[in-house]
Amino acid sequence: MPLNLSQPKRKQGISLTPLIDVVFILLLFFMLTSSFVPWRTVDTPLSVSSEPMLTPDENDVVMLTLKANDGQVWVTGEAHSLSDTTWFQALIVDHAKGTFAVQAEEGVNLQSLMSLADRLKENGAQTVSIANAFTTEKAK
Amino acid sequence: MKIDQKFAAKIKNDEDNMVPLINVVFLMLVFFMVAGQIRKADPIPVIPPTSINENRPVSDPNVLIVVGTDRSIYVDDNLITLNEVKPYLEQAFETALDKDAFWVQIKGDGLLPVEELRPIFSEIRLSGLTKVSLATQLQRGQE
Repeated sequence: MPLNLSQPKRKQGISLTPLIDVVFILLLFFMLTSSFVPWRTVDTPLSVSSEPMLTPDENDVVMLTLKANDGQVWVTGEAHSLSDTTWFQALIVDHAKGTFAVQAEEGVNLQSLMSLADRLKENGAQTVSIANAFTTEKAK
Repeated sequence: MKIDQKFAAKIKNDEDNMVPLINVVFLMLVFFMVAGQIRKADPIPVIPPTSINENRPVSDPNVLIVVGTDRSIYVDDNLITLNEVKPYLEQAFETALDKDAFWVQIKGDGLLPVEELRPIFSEIRLSGLTKVSLATQLQRGQE
């Protein structure tokens, strides 16, 4: 008597469940490890000596000092608002080829420092140096 | 016979219903793969200052210094004191392959007072390094 085993039925198509398992795992991995914060860098080159990099005596260096996080910047003893675009533009036109060095006193935070540098750049300043804020005598 | 056909049709429909799901999941997968960047998480959460600055680093920093709002200093994920920064940097510079391109990145929180960073800059300068960059992030709406 011949053995009449029925042939196993072939599946109609590939089951999608394992595929989805793998895809979900990949999706979770990429979702959890991805970072969308666009990091940028601002160069703050350091001088070899511990002296401040720029002094007002040098050619056309404008020293801007932040005394607090109050949106005010001090230039030659006068306070000006960071939102005073007219004053910024006049200052930058006066010192078209000058260097704008930013200084910060105690308590001024990084954000205020960067905001001032941004305002200078926005209004057309060519050379802005924030390295001075990190290399004052107070560093010692 | 009729029941078999119905049953077969039901299974087929179940698989068909999965297709839109897979489409969406694949779409999300491709989005995260392309748009996201896989990066090591910072040892402490730090929100860098926002800026209009657009400069992207051309290479990964040789040494990454993370300074949190609690003044803790992490150098390459290790919590260290200020005095240990200089020896660490000197050792890292000694073992670096490309010494000309050696640079240090400082990630400081936007609310961190500037004077807290001065001693760190001072230590970096004392170790003889001059290439230092501050990390910033683009302002919202300008990405």
